[in-house]
Amino acid sequence: MAVSSIRDVEFGAELPVFEPDTGLANVKRFVVAAGWNGPRFTDHEAARKEGLPGALVPGILSQGYLAAMIHRWAPEALIQNVDTVFRAPLIVDEPCSISGVVTDIDEEAGRVEIDLTITNAKGETRVFGTAEVKLPA
Amino acid sequence: MILDLHTHSIKSDDGRAKVQNYCQWIKTRDIPIDGFVLTEHRQFDNQSDYNELAREFGITILKGSEVETEYGHVLVFGVTEALQQAFDFSDIHLPLAKVVEDCEKHGAVAVPCHPGRPRVGMHAHLETFGVPDGVRIVEVYNGGSRDSEDEIAQAMAEELGYLGIGGSDAHIVSHVGRCATRFPTDIHNESELVEALRAGDFEAITNRQ
Repeated sequence: MAVSSIRDVEFGAELPVFEPDTGLANVKRFVVAAGWNGPRFTDHEAARKEGLPGALVPGILSQGYLAAMIHRWAPEALIQNVDTVFRAPLIVDEPCSISGVVTDIDEEAGRVEIDLTITNAKGETRVFGTAEVKLPA
Repeated sequence: MILDLHTHSIKSDDGRAKVQNYCQWIKTRDIPIDGFVLTEHRQFDNQSDYNELAREFGITILKGSEVETEYGHVLVFGVTEALQQAFDFSDIHLPLAKVVEDCEKHGAVAVPCHPGRPRVGMHAHLETFGVPDGVRIVEVYNGGSRDSEDEIAQAMAEELGYLGIGGSDAHIVSHVGRCATRFPTDIHNESELVEALRAGDFEAITNRQ
C-alpha cells in the first residue's frame, strides 16, 4: 500500500523491493535522453575492451532507480537528496534488486531517512546510500 | 558476547549512519549482536561519548579506527592518546610495520581488514611486499565483501596461521551486524576488547543470508 503521510511510517518499515529494468534497450533509451550515449554504456564488447566487466549502468540511472523506488512507495514524497556510495558497477543486462528501509523519522519536520541498497543476483551490495524524503503530515 | 568489530558512522567521510539509529535498528530488528565498534576512517573520534546511548539501549558501543597502509586498510583496537601521538592516523601511506609495532607498544591491536579485496586488502600486496611481521589477526568475514573476497581472506588466514574476526563494515544503518565476532566473555571497554583479541579466544561469524 502506498504511503501518503508521515503518520503511516514506522522506524524499520521496509519499502517494497524494486527490480529495475537494467536491459540494454532501456539503458540505451536513458543514455540517449541524458546525452551520455557512449559505447561503455551501450555495447558490452566495447566496454570489455576498456577493461570493464561489461556495459555499465550509468550512476545517474542508478540514482533514478532509487528515486523511482521511493515514489512507488510514497508517490507524494518530496525527495530532498539521494546520497549514494558506488561500491561496484551495475552491469547492463544483469538483474539487480533494490531494497529500502526507514532508518530515521522526524515527525515534526515531516522528514524520514531511508537506507537504500542495490544488490546483484549473488546478493552482493553494488550501491548503497541514504535518501532524505519529506512526506505530508 | 557478540560484537560487530567494524562499523562507520557519519563521522567517516563515506559513512551515512547515525549511532543512535544503529542502536534503534539493532533493538527493533533483533539483530543478533550485543554491541559494535566504531572504526572511523583515518581518525580516532575523541569527541563523541556514546555512554548514555549505550546505557539507554543496553548495547556496548566501543571506538577504534581504520587506518591505511601499504598493505591496505587496517583496523586498530585499543586506541590511546599515546598511540595517536605515535603515528598520524590521517596518513594514507602508513607503513604497516610501524602501525603493528606502535600498537604492540601502546596496548592496542592492529587487524588488516577485508584482506581479500583488491587494492585495499592485504592479500593483494603480499607478492610485492612479502608477508608482514607481527600480524596475528585478520578480518575473515566482512559484510561488504563481493565475489570471493572473504574466501581469499580465509584461505590466506589459514595458510599464514592468522586468527579471524568478523565485522559488517556497515556505512548505513541497516547493514550493521551482517558479520561479527563471538567472544566467550563479556567485553565492556576497549581495554577488555584488546585483552580478548590478544588472548585469541574468539570466532568470526556471519549473519548474511
